[in-house]
Amino acid sequence: MRKAYVGIDVGSVSTNVVAIDERNDLLFDYYVRTNGSPIESVKKGLEKLKKSVDGKWTVCGVGTTGSGRQLAGLMVGADVIKNEITAHAVATINEVPDVRTIFEIGGQDSKIIFVKDQMVVDFAMNTVCAAGTGSFLDHQAERLGVAIEDFGSMALSSENDVRIAGRCTVFAESDMIAKQQFGFSKPDIINGLCLALVRNYINNLARGKKLEPPFVFQGGVAANMGIKAAFEKEIGQEVTIPKYHHVMGAIGAGIIAKEEIERTGKKTTFRGFHALQTEFLPTSFICNGCSNMCEVIKVTINGQVAAMWGDRCGMWQEKVRNMNTNINIS
Amino acid sequence: MKVTFPYMGTVVIYKKLLELLGHEVIVPPRPSQKTLDLGVKHSPEFACFPFKTIMGSYIEACEMGAEAIVTSGGHGPCRAGFYSEVHQRELLQLGYEVDFIVFDSIYRDKDRFLQQVKKLKGNQSWLKVMKSIFFTYQMVREIDKLEMKLQKIRPYEVKQGETTKVWQKIEKVFDKVMIKQELKAVVRQGYEWLDAIERAEVSPMEQIKIGIVGEIFVVMESSINMEIEKVMGELGCEVERSHYLSEWVKDNMLPSLFKNSHEEEILKKGEPYIEINIGGHAKQTVGQIIDFKERGYDGIIHLMPFGCLPELISQSITPKLSKEYDIPILTLSLDEQTGQANNRTRLEAFIDLIKNKKIRQYSA
Repeated sequence: MRKAYVGIDVGSVSTNVVAIDERNDLLFDYYVRTNGSPIESVKKGLEKLKKSVDGKWTVCGVGTTGSGRQLAGLMVGADVIKNEITAHAVATINEVPDVRTIFEIGGQDSKIIFVKDQMVVDFAMNTVCAAGTGSFLDHQAERLGVAIEDFGSMALSSENDVRIAGRCTVFAESDMIAKQQFGFSKPDIINGLCLALVRNYINNLARGKKLEPPFVFQGGVAANMGIKAAFEKEIGQEVTIPKYHHVMGAIGAGIIAKEEIERTGKKTTFRGFHALQTEFLPTSFICNGCSNMCEVIKVTINGQVAAMWGDRCGMWQEKVRNMNTNINIS
Repeated sequence: MKVTFPYMGTVVIYKKLLELLGHEVIVPPRPSQKTLDLGVKHSPEFACFPFKTIMGSYIEACEMGAEAIVTSGGHGPCRAGFYSEVHQRELLQLGYEVDFIVFDSIYRDKDRFLQQVKKLKGNQSWLKVMKSIFFTYQMVREIDKLEMKLQKIRPYEVKQGETTKVWQKIEKVFDKVMIKQELKAVVRQGYEWLDAIERAEVSPMEQIKIGIVGEIFVVMESSINMEIEKVMGELGCEVERSHYLSEWVKDNMLPSLFKNSHEEEILKKGEPYIEINIGGHAKQTVGQIIDFKERGYDGIIHLMPFGCLPELISQSITPKLSKEYDIPILTLSLDEQTGQANNRTRLEAFIDLIKNKKIRQYSA
């Protein structure tokens, strides 16, 4: 059987599962909305993966990334748990080796990554506000009664520039309503929103930094042609969208897992597909140990405590470590 | 007099000094979620994060019976200069009539400074006051040295969490010290504990040294900066801060006779980028970044309270510095809304970036 490596990206809005071969070519990809239940989403993804690769490929390494990387990593037995900035960069550099600037806009965060000689040299993530992200567009599409899938093509059909304040979601919304009431057409307003989002993104994340071509744009929002056009208009350069732009984080996690396994020569810690049947239960409680009142997450696998986190003092994490956590779940 | 002080960094030191001066000292609890909630509730919305944290801390101390608050003033045009005034008013509204003893830099207004010292001095002789100050200064110097050593040990500890435990032990024994001989003994004891920590061998290529710079309160107080030093240590990085209490005391409290000129040097390094004193620690931040680079550090973490004006200025200079001095800089802005997970992602990515950079340097 040939070797396959699995990457899982558990984000705020979507969960992606991919498998790649030894040449980093994509064998399988799966994209689903997380809808607040990351565990179910990962399970679903793994089931689909099993159907597609089982019997033909052996899973030799697993990497997880995204905001839910810790939970997902624990659940599947990941070889590496990597932050999404590194994962995205690795995948993009693999696809576009001479890339210098990566725009990534996801569901609830957006990043800009600067690359030089195939190495991340700088990055920035949105800080206080989600005005420049996918959820913002989602929400506005709903307001306008337009399917988010049609958003991009409608923006491209716009004939007039409408300037919408994009600094803050709330203001953008009231500005948009005002523009509607003035009588601007839907496509014009949508185009205005795309431009506002890009302007906001560049102002917030690229502050004081030089943008060098080639540019790559990825993340869920890259499916939106209106945003791509807005980027090209704003920076006056061509922007490339990778073929699998929506699962780049997962691809990166897969590549990193592959490199890790090749470097160390270790056997994968992947729990196997039968781990899907194990009972995996995260619960939370408020610790009353001090006035910090931390929300502690406790994860049990088949009734045994496997991990705890969220405590600022580290008391619970240490307890789990001391319990000698060699949990056998096969 | 029952006195208290703002909670920042190694508090055993302030406690010791005030105790030696014959006061009953009320140490406020280490800032927790409750402190922040109290502080945010009773502060103007636009005030900066240190203001809100300290507000919460004062309220907790007042609840514990504090009658006077000893604190420092601000530097230059930073808002911190007005903070004691606003804090006092707010506390009064809450029904706490506390006295404020504010120390501005001795160089700004010597008479006022001495007046404040007299308030605190009470019936003690000047000799006793001088002795107490000198003794606590020695103490803070020793404890800072221990901490600096500890920050270079933590990334290599074999048993996770051991170094942090040793630090807690050190703070505890320092708290008991009253005379010089005892100080010597606990210092020796401290080094013995540190040396006993089991460490892993790590090649120079994999050793990462990070300088932490920025506004003094968020740099020094671990409970509100997500325990950045501990987190970075556990992720395998040696750290050093731009601020240590002993440095601050030296630069602001001691006559220039006892000073060496490290601080001046730092300020000079910042001068080409920020010409005039704009308040807070902006100039130091810039100077420190350059200083860390010159001392062979691999990266800088720049901490600022959300909306801090001086640090906003230094933040806008960092891209230029990063380029000119070829050193990665990560700015994190902190306030009561700070999302830990988000910042954790940034820190991990930042370390990846530095690791790759080092590997390339070594293989070139």
